[in-house]
This record gives sequence, C-alpha cells and structure tokens, in this order.
Amino acid sequence: MNPTPLALFAVTFAALLAGYPVALTLAGVALIFAFVGTLTGAFNPTDLGFAAGRLFGIVTNQTLIAVPLFVFMGVLLEKTRIAEDLLANLSNLLGRYRGGLAITVIIVGMLMAASTGIVGATVVTMGLMSLPIMLQRGYPPSLATGTICATGTLGQIIPPSIALVLLGDVLSNGYQQAQLNMGIFAPKSISVGDLFAGAIIPGLCLVGLYLGYILLRVLISPQSMPPAERSDKVDLMPVVGALAPPLLLIVAVLGSILGGFATPTEAAGVGAFGALLLGLAYGRLNREILAEVGSSTLSTTGMVFFILVGASIFSLVFRGYGGEEMVHALFQQMPGGMWGALGIVMLVIFLLGFILDFIEITFVVVPIVGPVLMAMGVDPIWLGILIAVNLQTSFLTPPFGFALFYLRGVAPAQVATTDIYRGVMPFIGLQLLLLGALLIWPSLATWLPAQL
Amino acid sequence: MILLNAFTALGRCIDRLIRPLGWLALAMVLITFAIVVLRYALNTGSLLMQESVMYLHGAFFLLAIALGISDDSHVRVDILYSRRPPQQQRLIDLAGHLLFLLPVSAFVVWISLPYAINSWRILEGSSEVGGIPGVFLLKSLIPLTGALMFLQGLAGIAKLIKSEESS
Repeated sequence: MNPTPLALFAVTFAALLAGYPVALTLAGVALIFAFVGTLTGAFNPTDLGFAAGRLFGIVTNQTLIAVPLFVFMGVLLEKTRIAEDLLANLSNLLGRYRGGLAITVIIVGMLMAASTGIVGATVVTMGLMSLPIMLQRGYPPSLATGTICATGTLGQIIPPSIALVLLGDVLSNGYQQAQLNMGIFAPKSISVGDLFAGAIIPGLCLVGLYLGYILLRVLISPQSMPPAERSDKVDLMPVVGALAPPLLLIVAVLGSILGGFATPTEAAGVGAFGALLLGLAYGRLNREILAEVGSSTLSTTGMVFFILVGASIFSLVFRGYGGEEMVHALFQQMPGGMWGALGIVMLVIFLLGFILDFIEITFVVVPIVGPVLMAMGVDPIWLGILIAVNLQTSFLTPPFGFALFYLRGVAPAQVATTDIYRGVMPFIGLQLLLLGALLIWPSLATWLPAQL
Repeated sequence: MILLNAFTALGRCIDRLIRPLGWLALAMVLITFAIVVLRYALNTGSLLMQESVMYLHGAFFLLAIALGISDDSHVRVDILYSRRPPQQQRLIDLAGHLLFLLPVSAFVVWISLPYAINSWRILEGSSEVGGIPGVFLLKSLIPLTGALMFLQGLAGIAKLIKSEESS
C-alpha cells in the first residue's frame, strides 16, 4: 500500500498541533508535499489544475450562501439580547420549582442552539448568563456546569444549524460521487433539507433525555436543586411575549425548508429578516448594533470558508497521491464489512473532535471517507446524523472537549475544572445512549426525511 | 525598517478597505428576502437578483478571508499554542507565515490568474440567459484574494519582526 497519503495525514495532524491557523496549515502542508512530490516525480502537478475550478465552485455554490445569512441571524439575536430576555422571563416562571432553573437553561439553550447554531457562542452566552444565578441559587457546580456545556453543544444537531448545512452540502456531493463510482448514472440525491429533517427527531430525543435526567435528579436528591426563595406572583404574559417571537422565527425557518416552500438559503434570508424585525420591535436595533453584526458575520464567514478553501487544496493533493484508493482498500480489509468500517470512522471522528472543530472535520474527513462508506451501503442521512451526534459527544468529553474549554473561560474561579468534568459525565452517557439508539434504529434519523 | 513600516501600513490600508464590507451581509439578507417575497406575492422571479446575492456572497467571504489574517480570527488548534510563552507563539506565527501563508497565497494567485484572464479575454457572461454578464469579475476575485492574503502575510511578518525588536 502507498504510504504517502498516510504520511500526509500524519504530518498535517502534527503541524496542526503547533497552533498556526488550521486552513493555512492544511493547504500549506499539502502544497509542500505536492512540491516535493513533483520534484521527485511521485506527484503529478496537473492534479492541482482543478484547484481554480474548485475554488470558483465554492463561490457559485448556492447552498453555502445560507452560511452568512444564518450567521447574521444568530449574531443579531445574540447582540439584541433577545435570548437573555427569554432566560430571565422563563426562569421567573419556572425558577419557583425545584430543578426549574436547570430546565429553563435547557429550553433556552435549545432555542439558542436552533437559532445560532454555534457551539462556542451558546456555551459562552449561557455560561455568562445562567451559571452565576445557578451557583447563587445553590446548585452544585458540577450539575450547573454540566447542564450548560451539554445544552451548548445542542447547536450542532438542532436544525437549522450551520454545521448541518455544511455537512449536508459535503454529503450530497459525496453521495453523487459514490453512486457514479458504482455505475449508477441517474443518482439519487439528498439535500440540506433532508439532513435538517433527519436531525429533528434525534435532536428532540436528546433534549428529552436531558430534561428527563434533570427531573430524575430532582426526585432522587431534591436538595441539590433549590427553588427561588421569593415566590412573588408571576405574570404569564411577559413569558409568552418573550418566548413566542424567537420560537415562531425558528418554526417558520424550519417549516419553510421542510415544507418545500423555500431553499435553505432563502429560509436563512427570511429568518435573518425576521430577526431584524424582532430587533426593531424590541427597539434594540441601531446603527452600531448593525455594524457590529455585520463585522462579526464577516469574520465568522471568512473563518468558515477559509477552512473550506484550505481543505479543498488538501484533498486535491491527498487524491493526487492516491489517498482515495488507500482509504477504499483500508475499508475493504476491515473485518466486519460495513459495520467495521463505520465503527472505525466513528472512532477516528470522535478522536479528531478533540482537536478539530465540526467545520474542519466536515471539510477534511467526510469527503474522504463519506463516498466510500456510502458505496458500502451506509445511508447518507443516517451517516450525517451519526457524525453530528458523535462530534457533539466528542466536544463534551474531558479533557479536550471544546465546550469544556469555552465554559472554563467564562466560569468563576470557585468552579473547579474537575467540577466541570464530573458534571458532563451523565450528559455524555445520555449522548452515547442516543448514538447507540441511532445505530440500532437508523429510522430515528431516516424516517422523517422519507415522509417529506 | 522603512520596508517593515510600509508593509504594516499597506496591511492596515487593506483592512480599512475590507472592513466596511460587513454591510454586504445586510444587503444579502434584504435581497434574499425580496426574492422570496417576489416569488410568493407577485409570482415573479429575477435571475439578476439571485445572481447579485451570489456576487455579494463571493466578494463577502473571499475578502473576509484576507481580513481574517490580519485580525487573527482564523481558527487555530490552540490546546498547546495558548500555553506557550508569547515569544514562542510569535516564532510559530513567523514560521507559519513563511512556510504556509506566503506559499499558499502565491499558489492561489498562480492557479487562478490564468483562469481569470481567460474569462476576461471573452468577457465571460452568465451561463444562464438574463444573468449578470460579469462572471469575469467574479473569477477575478479569487486572484485578488490571493494577492491580498500575500500582502497581509508580509504585513504580519513585519509586525512580528517589529514586536520582536521592541520586546
């Protein structure tokens, strides 16, 4: 077997750990390999000739236009502090009950996850807003931090999520390719909408599991989740008033995609416009906020697309060295056929999740292993949801999980890092439970898309 | 020293030109919304509008990449990096700029310049009837981005050398 693709992967991985920006490390190491290979005759430089067309393909890709629009919507909802209102109002209502605050955090986190779709942003915002209140209320630090971290990672799986837009785009290309390789010339296709539909049931299951766990703990140790002391009468109206608009927005965006009324890109545009109206209605929209939202959208979009550009150059070189054939051969030799290959891919993605973000794994790893797995009979939507849940678990797992770092950054010093580690354990268990259920019953992910 | 100052000044200049592009996001939102409204309320579609979103998006994300380099907003694997002393971080950045950033941006210019020039030669228009007749402009954005990245790389190197001297 040709060892160069493996060497390319290993060297890139080592170089990434140095800490230079990921996109440039991916492309840079690959170009060095290509350069040396061209000199020694091991690499055919015409393989790089496709690069310009590839880059232009990113520019003209209609689906990816949804990314800046969804980012705009999320940042706007964050900067106009609509989520904060929601948390304040809902915790007024539910805080009177034992465990009510934790449940509030999960529900608001789910809504924030749906609207922003960015793990870091959700964990940081929830950590800043709700961790102090929970600690002050007497929740054990481990329970408080575990709930916040776990809820923050929901941004991956609850649609409409940017991660699923990117994954959907990559998987649909891979699916076409897998079928063409198998000699099917009228290939079936999957869309970002299919992946959104596939994520709904598993996402809601996960939220249900989190809520169930909190209720169970309230039953077992009621004193760990004390209610608010003052129990003044609470009006229902402000709660409904704060809850309804963002909820409507999310339902409208998702509904229009799933109902086939709008493409994800159009729905993202409409959602962002709705967020503008919300900001206007709350009287929080002004020139400064809009400028901030614009510049924040600019830098987040640049970050996402740069990784796509870097990964495209990397994968051209990886393919040029016969990497695809290598992966194919590797999977063929794997004991257990499709299940063996799927298992090893899931393990690799879980481990990569410790150092790489969702975006990087989607652009670097999925295009390499996706087509091969799909050619072996793995359903593309099922694969996408498995990857999403798997990465979500990985982001939560100590000591390297991303969500833990984000929360550590905003948690007060009185919270020990070991508290955070202990706190996320039960939630990791719940996510593994869901992952297992998805493996046993693929229809959890594939049933809903088939109905639409 | 004069050269270093010139590089950093040029980098700042590029930043100042790109940063206002954040407003394009708002424009994309409004146009996309208008497209949907036109389709459902008035039952018409405009290819010009649809392609204009694509042009805005292309300019938006490509130039954002160049801006991200000087803003240092591109993702790093910072498990080890963030714990290193500043001097080592600067060394890693310097090596990265020289080994990765400059070659990668030169590569982007090298592969996409002929691609864009060919498009200019025929003043390539939209592949669809009634689209914006400016594909050559859209393609030119790619070498432009590569060139701006290269200049930002030089500015970054100049900045690192200057901060090394002053520390």
